Amino acid sequence: MRRLTALLLASTAVAMAAPAQAEPLRIGIIESLSGSQTSTGRLYSAAVQYGVDIINAAGGFNGEPIEVIEYDNAGGSTGAADEFRQAVADGIHIVFQGASSAVAGQITEDVRRHNIRNPGDEVMYINLGAEAMSLTGDQCHFYHFRYATTAPMRVNALVNAMAAAGELGTRVFSINQNYSWGQDMQTAIEDAAAAGGYEVVEAVLHDVNSIQDFAPYVARINAADPDTVITGNWSNDLLLLMRAASEAGLDVRFGTTFLDQPGNIANAGDTAIGHYLANNYVPDAGPAEFNDAYRDAVGHYPIFVEPPTIFAVGALAEALEQVDFGGGDIDVSAIALALEAVVYESPVGPITVRAEDHQTIRPVVVSHVVRGAAYPVDDTDLGFEVVGVVSGEDAIYPVQDSCEMERPD
Amino acid sequence: MEFIIISTLNGVIYGLLLFMVSAGLTLIFGMMGILNFAHASFYMLGAYVGYTLAALVDFWVGLIVAPLLVGAVGILVERYMLRRVHAFGHAHELLLTFGLALIFEELIKLFFGDFPVNYRMPDELQFAAFTVFGTDYPFYRLFIGAVAVIMFVALFVLLARTRIGIVVRAAERLPRMAESLGHNIPLVFMGVFGVGAALAGLAGAVAGAYFPTNPNMALELGVIVFVVVVVGGLGSLKGSLVASLMIGLFSSFSIGLDWSLASLLGLVGLGDWAESVGGLFTMTLSSVSGTIPFLLMLVILLVRPAGLMGDRN
Repeated sequence: MRRLTALLLASTAVAMAAPAQAEPLRIGIIESLSGSQTSTGRLYSAAVQYGVDIINAAGGFNGEPIEVIEYDNAGGSTGAADEFRQAVADGIHIVFQGASSAVAGQITEDVRRHNIRNPGDEVMYINLGAEAMSLTGDQCHFYHFRYATTAPMRVNALVNAMAAAGELGTRVFSINQNYSWGQDMQTAIEDAAAAGGYEVVEAVLHDVNSIQDFAPYVARINAADPDTVITGNWSNDLLLLMRAASEAGLDVRFGTTFLDQPGNIANAGDTAIGHYLANNYVPDAGPAEFNDAYRDAVGHYPIFVEPPTIFAVGALAEALEQVDFGGGDIDVSAIALALEAVVYESPVGPITVRAEDHQTIRPVVVSHVVRGAAYPVDDTDLGFEVVGVVSGEDAIYPVQDSCEMERPD
Repeated sequence: MEFIIISTLNGVIYGLLLFMVSAGLTLIFGMMGILNFAHASFYMLGAYVGYTLAALVDFWVGLIVAPLLVGAVGILVERYMLRRVHAFGHAHELLLTFGLALIFEELIKLFFGDFPVNYRMPDELQFAAFTVFGTDYPFYRLFIGAVAVIMFVALFVLLARTRIGIVVRAAERLPRMAESLGHNIPLVFMGVFGVGAALAGLAGAVAGAYFPTNPNMALELGVIVFVVVVVGGLGSLKGSLVASLMIGLFSSFSIGLDWSLASLLGLVGLGDWAESVGGLFTMTLSSVSGTIPFLLMLVILLVRPAGLMGDRN
C-alpha cells in the first residue's frame, strides 16, 4: 500500500514537473515486511527511513528529496527477485536489504546481471546485514557493498575481548545452525582457536529454527565439559539453547552474535546475565546524542540491526556530497566510486570500504549482559554493557581469493 | 549408559509435548473429518492468553482460562464459519482453516508485536526435579509430560468409556442414524471442535511458558504436529501418542550421534574414500536431526499409507 502511495506521489510529481525537473535519487528497500522475519525487516526499513530523512532535511540530493520505496520480499528469494524487477521498473538507483543471506544472494546476483545488461543504467546494492562469506567471495561484484560484520570479524572480536576479560577459558564448544551462516561461524571459531588460546572441544551443526527441544544438545555440551559455548544462533535457536542450558544448571559462558535481537533478553530473563555479544553497536558504546536523536525520531534507542543501517545511510550521505550531477541524470557508478572512498566516522570508530571485495572494515563492539544497565532493553532492567571495542583493523580478515571484482572504467 | 538414559528422558518428554499439541487435531480429524490447519494457531492463541493472564492475574488462572477461551473461539469458528462451508467438501474446509491460520498470526502481531513476549513459568515451578549424571532435570519438563499423560487418559476414557463418547463416535460413523435416534449432530460437532481447540489452548498455555511465545510459534510447531498425526494414523488417538513418542525419541537420540555415511562405509573399509568425496557422505546424523520426523513420515506413508494405527490399513 505504501508503495502504491509512493508511486502515486511520484507520478503526480512527474505530472506537475517542469521540463527542467531534476531526477530524484530513488532508494528501494527490499525487505521481509510480512512473514516470519517481519520484525527484523521493519527495523531495517525504519532505520533507512531515519537516515534518508536526515539527508532530505539537509536539502536532499540532486535538487530533489530522496525517494524511499518499500518492497516486501515476504522473506523469500523468489519474492525478492520479483520485487527487484518491480524496483528496476520503478527506476530505483540503490537497493537496500539486510535480513537473510539467501535473499541477499538472490538480490546481489540480480543486480550483477542487471548491470551487465544495462551499462550506463546501473543499480547499486547496499547490504545491511546479510553476512554470508560468499557475498564478498565468489559472488562479489563492484556494485555490492556490505555494511555489516561477518562471522570471522565477530568471532575474532568476541574471542579477543572474552580472553582479555579472563572469561574465555581453554575449552570452547561450537554450536551453530546448519546453513551458510552457521558454517561460516563454525569455520571462524575453529580458525580463531590458535590466536584465542583455546581448543574446540566439539563442533555441532543443527537444523535452522526447526528444533523445539534443545535438551539433547545441552546433554552433549555437558558431556564435552566446555568453559565457553560460542554460537551464531539467532531467534528461537538461541533462546531455546540458552534456556535449556540454564535449566540444566550448566555452568558455561555463552559467546553470541545475535543476543540483542528484540525480545531475546525479555525471554531469556536472568539466564542471559553474563553472556557475551559481539555486534556492530550497542547504545552503551556510543554518545548519548546519537542514541537520543534516534529515540526522538523513531521512539526507541537504536538496537540490533538499526545502528549498522544508520551507519550505512550515513556513509551514503557522505558519498552523495562528493558527487554532483547538476540536477541531471544520476550516474550510479559515480556514487559507488564515491562510496568506496568514504571514511565514515561512526560513534565507535571509522568505517571504510575495502576496495578489493567491498567488505567494510569496521569496529566490532563486544558487550555482556548486566543488571541495571545504562540502556535497559525489552522493558527489563537488563541491558548490554560494553566490554571492549575492537577496531576495524584488528577485526578484519584477509580478502577471500574467490573474489574477482571487475571495476567500471 | 548416560547417553541412553538422558536421551530417553528428553525424547519421551518432547514426545509427550508433541502429543499434547496434536491430540486436539487428531480428535477433530477423527470425529469430524476436518483437517484443521488453524490448529497450531489455537495453540498459539492459548500461549498468548496464558501470557496475558499470567501478567495480569496469575499463571494458574491463565492455565484454566486459556483452554476455555480458546475452546469458545473454536466453537464460534465451527458454528459461524466451518458449518457454512461444510456442504462444499473438504477442500473448502481446508482453505478456510488455512486462511484463519494466517489471520490469527497477523492479529497476534497486531496486538502483541512482532517479537517474542516474556511468558515464563512461575518461580515456584522453576526448580530441578532431580539430578541425573551431574545435570539438573527441570521440574517443568515433568510437568509438561504429566499434563500430556492426563490429557491422553481423560480423552481415552471419555471416548471409550462414557455415554458422551458413544454419541460422538456414532455421530462420526453414522451421522444420519444418530440423528434419527434424537441426537443433535451439529451440536456434537460443535462440541468436538470446541474441545479440540481447548486442548490446543491448554497445550499453548503450558508449553508457551517453556518455549518462546512468539507470532511464529504456530508455524514452527504446526508442521511437525501434522507429521505426528499422519504418522500415527489420521484420527487415531493412540496412534498419535505412539507417533509423538517415536518422533521425540528419534530426534533426541539422533542429536547425540555423529554417524555419517562415511563412518558406515568405514566399516567395510571405504571410510577414507567417502571422507575424500565429502558432501552427503560426511553429513552427520546430528546435523540433520530436524528432518528425521519427515523421513519417518515418508517411510510410514510408503509402508502403511493410513498411518501406524489408522483405520484403513
